[in-house]
Amino acid sequence: MSGDLQRELEDLFAHYAEVIDDGDLERWPEFFTDPSLYRIVSKENWDKKLPMSLMRCESMGMLKDRAFASQKLNVYGPRAWRHFVSQIRARVEGDRIVARSNFVLYETLIEHQPQVLCLGRYLDVLVRQEGKLLFAERICVYDNAIIPGSIVLPV
Amino acid sequence: MTAPADPLGGFVWPAEGDSRAPYWIYLDQGIYRREIERIFEGPTWSYAGLECELPNPGDWKRSTIGEKSVLIVRGKDGVVRGFLNKCAHRGVKLCEEHTGSGEEFMCPYHQWVYDLEGKLMGLPFRRGVKGKGGMPDDFDLSEHGLTPIRVHVRTGAIFATLHADTPDFESYLGETILGFYDRIFSGRKLKLLGYQRQRLAANWKLMLENIKDTCHASLLHVFFVTFGLFRVDNPSKVRMDETGLHTGLVSERGQQELTDGTRQMASFQQHLALQDPRLLDTVREFPGDATVIMHTIWPNLILQQQSNTLATRQIVPRGPGEFDLHWTFFGYEDEPEELTQRRLRQANLMGPAGLVSMDDGEIMIRAQEGMAVDARSAGVIEMGGRDYDNADHMVTDVALRAFYRGYRKVMGL
Repeated sequence: MSGDLQRELEDLFAHYAEVIDDGDLERWPEFFTDPSLYRIVSKENWDKKLPMSLMRCESMGMLKDRAFASQKLNVYGPRAWRHFVSQIRARVEGDRIVARSNFVLYETLIEHQPQVLCLGRYLDVLVRQEGKLLFAERICVYDNAIIPGSIVLPV
Repeated sequence: MTAPADPLGGFVWPAEGDSRAPYWIYLDQGIYRREIERIFEGPTWSYAGLECELPNPGDWKRSTIGEKSVLIVRGKDGVVRGFLNKCAHRGVKLCEEHTGSGEEFMCPYHQWVYDLEGKLMGLPFRRGVKGKGGMPDDFDLSEHGLTPIRVHVRTGAIFATLHADTPDFESYLGETILGFYDRIFSGRKLKLLGYQRQRLAANWKLMLENIKDTCHASLLHVFFVTFGLFRVDNPSKVRMDETGLHTGLVSERGQQELTDGTRQMASFQQHLALQDPRLLDTVREFPGDATVIMHTIWPNLILQQQSNTLATRQIVPRGPGEFDLHWTFFGYEDEPEELTQRRLRQANLMGPAGLVSMDDGEIMIRAQEGMAVDARSAGVIEMGGRDYDNADHMVTDVALRAFYRGYRKVMGL
């Protein structure tokens, strides 16, 4: 992989995390192709090849519905989210880029210590459309079997 | 031995009776210990898993009854058995994974080996080494097997009890609830779709209450109402067993009659249509008109058919202020793939990231925090009156009153 692509992915992944952490959720679907596949899956289900996800979107519409519900409809307490993404490694396969990286997601609730909400791998397939890299697939496989509380936003 | 005169530190149930739920029952350690003894380790059937999690001989799963880790094992004879998850030697936890498969269980500490029926098969150095050491001559393998627990399997689901006097499962559920149960667990083979697990900083009873509290669905869950999946005027029924501890809540998706109220809701919905309607594109798969049946089966199970989402939610208490919730999603082995895809999509509503269920998780935590402000005050449970009768609408707290009547009896409160 070229240094240029590595830097492009680092910037993209940082931007993705920023949009969620900053609460600009209406911009989150813009990172995806249509159709696409976004899933949050436990390592347990992933390893056992069980198809259940914690979150699953298959289209621009579903991504927008999730973003809208998270921002306007769901009821949850105030919190801060902070993603840490590292070890991005990618390879080019024809017109696709297959990438893998690690993430840690901290959640801080009011008057609580920050806690790791989930931690795991991003398994991504990206394609370039009109010069821009987009996720055709982003599968978030988290290691911790038990989620502390709820995951109120996309990861 | 006589009981201490005041084991609960002066807590007395409010004079209003079952239309009040005092907050100390959610907060007090003494109450919690009594719940473990009388409820989870008492004569109750706890949900332990689904048969489709252990389809073949040698398959096992780890489960939890109350606070106790247990193993549910399918023997070579195909029979499902249950054991406490600890070695008979020095108490080491035998299995750590959620599920597994094998010919035997071996404790890694001193390599005691048990067969799938829990019998101790052997242990190293039993006869000593070069004539030295070893177990006493009268050591009897048959007296040192795994501790068995009673297990009952009924059409796909597995229940277990730690108590000797638990009545048979069918009497325990009662005719009404058994009827609901058999609708989902009809004998059709189940297909395991996967798990979701979460830990909530709230009392375990709040989870059962949440399902029995029929009013909240049309108020808290804005998502439900906005997109027309549930409305307070949908034809609905609340059905309870004789103890009041089990409940079946039945609701039908309404005809969206154009009353003033629903006309307003309808315009609201038009404004907020889903961008991708597949999320709520449900199909009728059971006979009858019910589109949703939520069962609470005392003490640790919520069995749900929410349109095409079938799931068990297993409650594991972890002290007065915390419980784990294990969701197991399933379908049927003979169903078309297209229906499975619907289930996987509709599961977006459920679990720790559920468009509906996240509201519940969050509100339970908030309730727990609020109740701690004044443990001696009490919640008001008067919607729909003060009676205990089955209802044919959702604007009622009747299932909560019946629940607390049953709970007080079990707990001696």
